[in-house]
Amino acid sequence: MPQAVLLPKLGQTVEEAAIVKWHKQEGDTVRKGEVLFEIETDKAVLEAESFHDGTLLKVLVGEGRTVPVSSVVAYVGKPGEKIPETLPAAAPEPAPAAPEPAPEPAPAPRPEPPAAPPAAAPEPPEPPAPTPAARPETPAPRPPSRLFISPRARALARDRAVDPARITGSGPNGRITVRDVKAYLEAHHYAALRISPAAKRLAVMEGIDILTVRGTGLSGRIMTADVRRAIAERPRPLSKMRTIIAQRLTESFRDTPHFYVSVSVDMTDLLRYRAELKEQGAAYKVTDFILEAVVLTLTEFPVVNSVTDGRTIRWRGSVDLGLAVGLEDGLVVPVIRSAETLSLGELHEAAQILAGKAREGKLLPDEMKGGSFTVSNMGMFDVDNFNAIINPGEAAILAVASTRPAPVVRDGAVVVRQIMKLTLSVDHRIVDGTTGAQFVNAVKAKLEDVELWKSLT
Amino acid sequence: MEKFDVTVIGAGPGGYPAALRAAQLGARTALIEKEVLGGTCLNWGCIPTKSLIASAERFHQAAHGDALGLRAADVGFDYGVMWKRKNDVVAKLRGGVGQLLKAHGVTVFNGAASFAARNRIAVAPASGAPHEIDSGAVIIATGSVSAVPGFLPESEHVVESRAFLDQPDLPQSLIVLGGGVIGCEFACLAARLGVRVTVVELLEDILTGLDRDAVRVLRKSMEKTLHIRILTGSPLEQVAVSKHGVQGRFGRETLSAERLLVSVGRRPVTAGLALENAGLRADEHGFIEIDAACATAAAGVYAVGDVTAGSTQLAHAATSQGVTAAENAVRGARAAAETLVPACVFTAPEIGSVGLTEAAVRQAGRSVRTGLFAFAGLGKALAADETEGFVKWIADAETDQLLGAHAVGAHATELIAEAALAVRQELTAEEVGRTIHCHPTFAEAWMEAAHAAHGTCLHQPPKRR
Repeated sequence: MPQAVLLPKLGQTVEEAAIVKWHKQEGDTVRKGEVLFEIETDKAVLEAESFHDGTLLKVLVGEGRTVPVSSVVAYVGKPGEKIPETLPAAAPEPAPAAPEPAPEPAPAPRPEPPAAPPAAAPEPPEPPAPTPAARPETPAPRPPSRLFISPRARALARDRAVDPARITGSGPNGRITVRDVKAYLEAHHYAALRISPAAKRLAVMEGIDILTVRGTGLSGRIMTADVRRAIAERPRPLSKMRTIIAQRLTESFRDTPHFYVSVSVDMTDLLRYRAELKEQGAAYKVTDFILEAVVLTLTEFPVVNSVTDGRTIRWRGSVDLGLAVGLEDGLVVPVIRSAETLSLGELHEAAQILAGKAREGKLLPDEMKGGSFTVSNMGMFDVDNFNAIINPGEAAILAVASTRPAPVVRDGAVVVRQIMKLTLSVDHRIVDGTTGAQFVNAVKAKLEDVELWKSLT
Repeated sequence: MEKFDVTVIGAGPGGYPAALRAAQLGARTALIEKEVLGGTCLNWGCIPTKSLIASAERFHQAAHGDALGLRAADVGFDYGVMWKRKNDVVAKLRGGVGQLLKAHGVTVFNGAASFAARNRIAVAPASGAPHEIDSGAVIIATGSVSAVPGFLPESEHVVESRAFLDQPDLPQSLIVLGGGVIGCEFACLAARLGVRVTVVELLEDILTGLDRDAVRVLRKSMEKTLHIRILTGSPLEQVAVSKHGVQGRFGRETLSAERLLVSVGRRPVTAGLALENAGLRADEHGFIEIDAACATAAAGVYAVGDVTAGSTQLAHAATSQGVTAAENAVRGARAAAETLVPACVFTAPEIGSVGLTEAAVRQAGRSVRTGLFAFAGLGKALAADETEGFVKWIADAETDQLLGAHAVGAHATELIAEAALAVRQELTAEEVGRTIHCHPTFAEAWMEAAHAAHGTCLHQPPKRR
């Protein structure tokens, strides 16, 4: 009996996902644990493994299609086995005892604390993010195909590789006739166009309006390279991840009144101490110290660890620290839960694991939700300073720039010190300038206080 | 110090057209050549081999004319006369180049050129004092010479192509080391004149990079008709010279012949140019890097032809680059040189080729449609008793664009010109198929092959479905 392959459940909140790539073709042998396909949710691309040995008999959901979780997407079985006649649209809920079809076995140390911290507030409801389900399945950049045009006129426009939507119709109710197409061609000096035969064929095939293509051949002749450029320049739908980034950051930047406050942190002593620790075998990253300083400061300034919708303010009882991780084409923010309960070592571990999973695209959606404050570190990219956009649902974000030697005044003399700029972006609806200034200075003071780190390591 | 707008180093098929074009555009132009006008192509390459091949071909036709109703008793040849005629042809063309340069007002310096600075060239004549000239732009067109591997002994029995052409006699037997274009052309030439020829090629086949079907036709003809031994897939080792000739080992077999022709490739000529004084450096193999506009890394310094990295080592490609470089130098433009270079191989039968091969198109991930028409189905080919070979189009299966063409057989090197025009102009197979071709001609084969690409060729049985 062939086994149904289900679209894995990806956590509490993910209802649907798109299959972006099949690693196996129908007829291929699959082994338990082998990657069968890749799925893309709002936030990540994940690999789904087979739970059965056998042959991939039938793929029901092709690449690029979005289906609800737990849908049957394929069948695995023995070659020649019959697959069920009536294909279930979605499999029944798997029994609770059944292994959760998570795409990846969770690595041993989960960043979550073993037990909920006593002060933990109930998981806050999601910030009012636009629901992904409301979006059309495939954003269509093409003009509407409902055009009032005679079949002969449409054929002529197609043959000439022009877009009929640009033609004004003169027939009854604005219907486009052959005469309109001809007039349009003449008005645009179509006869004077030089087009290589292959370029024209390509334009017709790809639906490129040849009148919009600039020719680079001799005397402006349109060559295949020009049409290929036009094809490449066609607007394409953003990836799901980019769409989400675009929506959420636009919403935040538009609806949250940001203000920014910067400080220069003298990292010289801490870097020296970090080098000492490294010699002793304890390798901490600069990020670890910054995260810890932020966690400590957030417990002192709970308002910065809060969230507002403009009418109410909600205090967050734990520090769920977001860590912005840049990917090749996008950005994810894994969250370290209840960071205030972790030691510096545990914080280092958690950050390492989450950043690693982020880069490998293996973060689960739930691992990217519910942050209360985010740190965005661009220190490795050689920047003087930058302003970050607050993540929706949070009150502030800390932008960390590169640490570099700079002349500073100490005791009336100019000396060279390792200076790092921090810039806090704050939601002015709940945090004022004084608090913002005190906050960044508190972070700075901690980073510059080596005695503190000696007590923490 | 004399001042020029453009100075061209090397008067081969890349250099002298560059000088002519620069002068044509009104630039004060100098051309520096250390040997003779015309370079390798005119003096020791394209032209002399083609005059010898013409003699060999006529001899072959005269000796094999029975089927055409020819009767010729005592057909023979005098290689000395052929050789002298070759020298006359070369001398005449060389003189012509000199006259053209003079007529265009190009100042020709005889001597070795080297960079004193980016825009100053030192000319060292064979006799007399060296002098320097100033130049706004410089075009390096120094070409290439035959590469002769170090393991080969120095001897009059071991020659490369230039030395072969300089010898006024033919050997009884010949080993050709290297089954590339030059090796195969000389092998066919010599075999047609009765020389026992063995070709040794390290790679698995001769003429790799050309259309495999075309090479298969050629290889069969070389082996069956010209009785050339073609040994592939192993090196020639333990080459030794004796009083009477050359021996070498191919696998377990010992080969011996009166002469060994080395045709294992050509290396660029950059030694002595003092490129570093122009702020340039040749790559590890001695080639000069250029961009699409033939410009080097040094401002105002261009390079064309065999000396450039990635060169096709074809005279006509060098000419095209030379013209582009001259135009860019005079106009201060950055126009890109042509990249579609047809290739011709003057073997027996000939091969002509342009654009992509079937394998290259498939490798690029595009779907291919091919159309092949054999000369055996062509009226003119039958009438002319030249039925060996075919022409073949490589088209994009989706757009019908002609991406490449390959011809093997009589007149293939002439026929490829039409294909080059079609590929460069991005014609489709349909367009070529619709173009009326004269009947009866060999060129009709292109039209037939274009129809064949669509399965609508009238002079082929329909494909079985």
